[in-house]
Amino acid sequence: MRSEPLAALEQAIGAIAPYGRTDLEERLRQAGFRLRDGRIRVLVVGEFKQGKSLLVNGLVRAPVCPVFDDVATCVPTVVRYAEQPTAALIRVLEPADDGDPERAKIERVELEIEQMSQHIAETGNPGNREGWREAEIGLPRAVLAGGLEIVDTPGVGGLNSVHGAATMAALPSADAVLFVSDASQEYTAPELEFLRQASKVCPNVLCVLSKADLYPEWERIADLDRAHLAAEKIDADLLIVSSALRVHAIRTGDDVSDAESGFPVLVSYLREQVVGRADLLARRSTAQDIVAVTEQLATALLAERTSYTDPEQAELVIRELTEAKAHAAALKERSARWQHTLSDGVADLNADIDYDLRDRMRDIVREAEGEVDKAGDPKKIWEQLAGWVEQEVGAAVSANFLWAAQRARWLAGQVAEHFSGGRELLPRIRTGHDDPLAGIQAMEMRSGEPFGVGQKALSGLRGGYIGVLMFGMLGTIVGLSLINPFSVGAGLLMGAKGFTDERRRVYSKRQAEAKAAVRRYADDVIFQAGKESRELLRRVQRDLRDYYIDRAEETNRSLKDSLMAAEQSARASQDEQQRRLKEIPKELARLESLHKKAMSLVPGAVTEPREPRLIEAAQ
Amino acid sequence: MSERDGASAVWTDERAQARQRRAREEGRRRVAEERSEPSSTVSVSSPGASHSLTASVRGVLRRAVRVFADEPDIAGELRAQLDRLDEPLRVAIAGKVKAGKSTLLNGLVGELIAPTDAGECTKVVTWYRDAPSPRVVSYPDLGEPRPLPIRRENGALAVELRGVPAEKLRKLVVDWPSQNLRGTTLIDTPGIASASAHNSRRTLAMLTPDDDSPAEADAVIYLMRHLHAADAEFLESFRDQGVARASSVNTIAVISRADEVGGGRIDAMLSARRIARRYRTEPALRGLCQTVIPVAGLLAATGRTLRQAEFQTLAALAAAPREDMDDILLSTQRFLRSDRVAALADVSYERRKDLLERFGIFGLRLAMMYVRQGRDSSPSLAAELVRASGLHELQDVLSVQFSQRRDLLKARSGLIALERVLAARSPAADESEVKQLAAEVERIGSGAHEFVELRLLSSLRSGEVVLPEEEAETAERLLGGQGVAAVQRLALSRTASDDEVRSAALHELDRWRRRAEDPFADRPAVRTYRAVTRTCEGLVASLSTPAPSEV
Repeated sequence: MRSEPLAALEQAIGAIAPYGRTDLEERLRQAGFRLRDGRIRVLVVGEFKQGKSLLVNGLVRAPVCPVFDDVATCVPTVVRYAEQPTAALIRVLEPADDGDPERAKIERVELEIEQMSQHIAETGNPGNREGWREAEIGLPRAVLAGGLEIVDTPGVGGLNSVHGAATMAALPSADAVLFVSDASQEYTAPELEFLRQASKVCPNVLCVLSKADLYPEWERIADLDRAHLAAEKIDADLLIVSSALRVHAIRTGDDVSDAESGFPVLVSYLREQVVGRADLLARRSTAQDIVAVTEQLATALLAERTSYTDPEQAELVIRELTEAKAHAAALKERSARWQHTLSDGVADLNADIDYDLRDRMRDIVREAEGEVDKAGDPKKIWEQLAGWVEQEVGAAVSANFLWAAQRARWLAGQVAEHFSGGRELLPRIRTGHDDPLAGIQAMEMRSGEPFGVGQKALSGLRGGYIGVLMFGMLGTIVGLSLINPFSVGAGLLMGAKGFTDERRRVYSKRQAEAKAAVRRYADDVIFQAGKESRELLRRVQRDLRDYYIDRAEETNRSLKDSLMAAEQSARASQDEQQRRLKEIPKELARLESLHKKAMSLVPGAVTEPREPRLIEAAQ
Repeated sequence: MSERDGASAVWTDERAQARQRRAREEGRRRVAEERSEPSSTVSVSSPGASHSLTASVRGVLRRAVRVFADEPDIAGELRAQLDRLDEPLRVAIAGKVKAGKSTLLNGLVGELIAPTDAGECTKVVTWYRDAPSPRVVSYPDLGEPRPLPIRRENGALAVELRGVPAEKLRKLVVDWPSQNLRGTTLIDTPGIASASAHNSRRTLAMLTPDDDSPAEADAVIYLMRHLHAADAEFLESFRDQGVARASSVNTIAVISRADEVGGGRIDAMLSARRIARRYRTEPALRGLCQTVIPVAGLLAATGRTLRQAEFQTLAALAAAPREDMDDILLSTQRFLRSDRVAALADVSYERRKDLLERFGIFGLRLAMMYVRQGRDSSPSLAAELVRASGLHELQDVLSVQFSQRRDLLKARSGLIALERVLAARSPAADESEVKQLAAEVERIGSGAHEFVELRLLSSLRSGEVVLPEEEAETAERLLGGQGVAAVQRLALSRTASDDEVRSAALHELDRWRRRAEDPFADRPAVRTYRAVTRTCEGLVASLSTPAPSEV
């Protein structure tokens, strides 16, 4: 599918070789890498028990994801194309310096597909105790051949909704999201909330109504769901599928059932809307690269030609080129407007994101401390409290990250606008990140001093002993024995007091410990998540800066070349002029055919040859 | 009818009927043996004990009415609480949207009185209570209650709100003459986590009221399809504070729509039972509800209202070759639309649609299996469907957990309501009187052994009090965790003789008394041991003096 743009790129690289412009060649080569590596990631998300794993199995026509009646998947499973069936589990050993998940140091464990299910299902690996980042399954399937990756995610909304945070974290790096909800009921409030967030960060959201075989009223439910989507202004299609029928169809080879299952429609949707759209994007950016390169080269040739044929006009051209070059040079400078936009934007973003995170955490800590104060002995409610805090923190952090990714994209748009008035396509920025909470230790209350039978007895005894001794001694003054009814009574009283004092002390100490544990946890999260998000923004900043500086550099060099060509041509000999005048149209024609070819990559684009617009582009 | 029979309430009456019916139909006593009631021997909360508690709660409420005579609102509310002591137990059915609350209600009542629909249906909190004649009254937020017309549509009750939007209604009260509602008023609620936030709010407001109004339900059946975080949160919020501080004791969780587990496979119920078993041991859930049971609500409701015509249609469908039928039953769409059905059996589209609505795809698969296996009459099929639905298990649990404790639960609601009133500190009432009332409430709340049992049960379940493992289970059972009848507490067979019960009780008494004297046990544990000892004493005492036989 990608062969056409790749061929065009190869041809272009060959054609520009004689000009010795290594920077332009490098640009085309990079585009080639991106094309070859282009993966299209489709996330299958939804609440648990909606039939996500079965849907993935149906899509690839193989039982690769384990399906259970009770909660099942606990590790995200990536299904992609491979010549031979393969399976591997992936664990992060050491995150990359800049926090980019794609460059983290990972451990890869290959194993048989059959053994996979015990590692990625809740039954064999409860709560992903083994700590896998993802499972990878390779299958030789036509539907995956276009670079499509289907990711089966753990269900959202279970008792331990740490899954939710991980799924949210994966959203911004996805090309498309399949939101699965079964036909038993219309969308619930949490589901709509999830859809709302997903549609903000992911360009392509598709809703899938599963289990249509089980519920007679699926048409009504589908209508209700569509109405909900419209009311929320979420732009997403809704497809209806029945995995049970698909499974039946695969088993019996029955085409009628297959058509009824709704899967063919889903597959063609993936092919056209997801793969097709990604493909179109790839073609467009390839075309843009080639066109930009040919235009830059053509400018030099045109300037040279003008100075041979029309010396008066040449003056003008040289003046224009000089101006344009000054402008391009300015773009490279730190003082260029886009540079300001970028650095200010990232600084603002850093501050906002950090404030947002701290604000959210502060609320959680405050509430948790309130709970600790209310409880007498915090040890008793600790487990519950810890669960609650962890859940709230997960939700807060994922919301914070989504916001960061969203704002980063907006910033990229701003920068592009200021760089070239929005004519350039946006570069690919890496807003993907690992689950920011993955490396954080569970909240733990330091056990503190125990307050068991022994301690209780001791503290009572201590108080009692002092009481007896004190009052007994007083008694001896008036002639009573050391042990007398008064001193024993006082001993009992003081013993009880000693005991309650001790208990109060222990409890308040425990409360302080519990609060400290909550704060420690919050600090950890702010530290870790803050670091992650700063790294994410730094990555975005670096990506954008490098991209646009490269562009400015290229333009600058092209203009310099053109200028040189124009000036040199004035001094050239008559023979040389004649020879060049013969050569230039040929070279221009070659460039133009490249240009045409590039434009033909994008269906429906204007293929008219245009005048090089380098000069205007630079302004 | 003896006092105790009355106390064992709706579920028992209802079950007795079902038993008789089955017995008549099958002409055998097999099932009757198996499903017989917990033997009507002694229970610790014997009529006398519950009575004295109810009487003292009634006394303190009456006194409160006098104290607050100058405040008509509060006095009215307290009077309502007083009346409530004589009314049937109020059980609310709650859960997320589309959990199958109305369907289960229909199954419990055995009639199609709660409207059900594929979309979100119940939008108003609706009370169903027994009355001599049918009547529906709506209670708007503002203004007088208004009677509404009643229509029956296709055997189901249809209520028209007459132009008043559902958001403006506080509640609907449906009076319905039904044996099954006699001991218990059922309250159907709109689902929580609904896409329309308003409906959820109604339910939350009713079940977990804020300071100014008392909880309207005495007990809750909580329905969930799978355990979502929202479910746990809700159960947690229902755990109320106040006199009894008992939380889990008045809540039962039900895995509803159990027939849909695993895509409606024929073994769906087995799978659902496994899931329920796992939930029961889940620590997060254990502290929040008594137990978890799977029920296929639709199957129960349909089984109990099965019509002859429906049976005939089913029989006609089941007569077709099995492979073809299985193939058609792969999806609802096929069953409704495929032309192949016409070739197999002469059943019109409308009839099939009705059938599907009543049974669901799992119900159809199951019903046809039963017909093929030789259930050749509509009553025998109905019995089989109800048995498969898990309704009997639910009824047993309800009888043990709610009906046997109904006086206690009602007294508890009354005390909680009074406690709230007292805490609000009305300026009109005499300060010292209020103080005395508060002291009285405190005395009843902490003194009555029934409350002590409830509280301990709930703290044992939530892990506040930790006993050694082998002791915890027995203690829970003795405190009435699996039913308050003596045989249930002592884990004896239902037919155990008085002597057996006595010797078991004495044995336990001896054991727990010794444990209570253990100098190394910590305070909460000792408190538990003492309470268990006292329970055992009660068991022994109730045997020595035969229960008064009021007929």
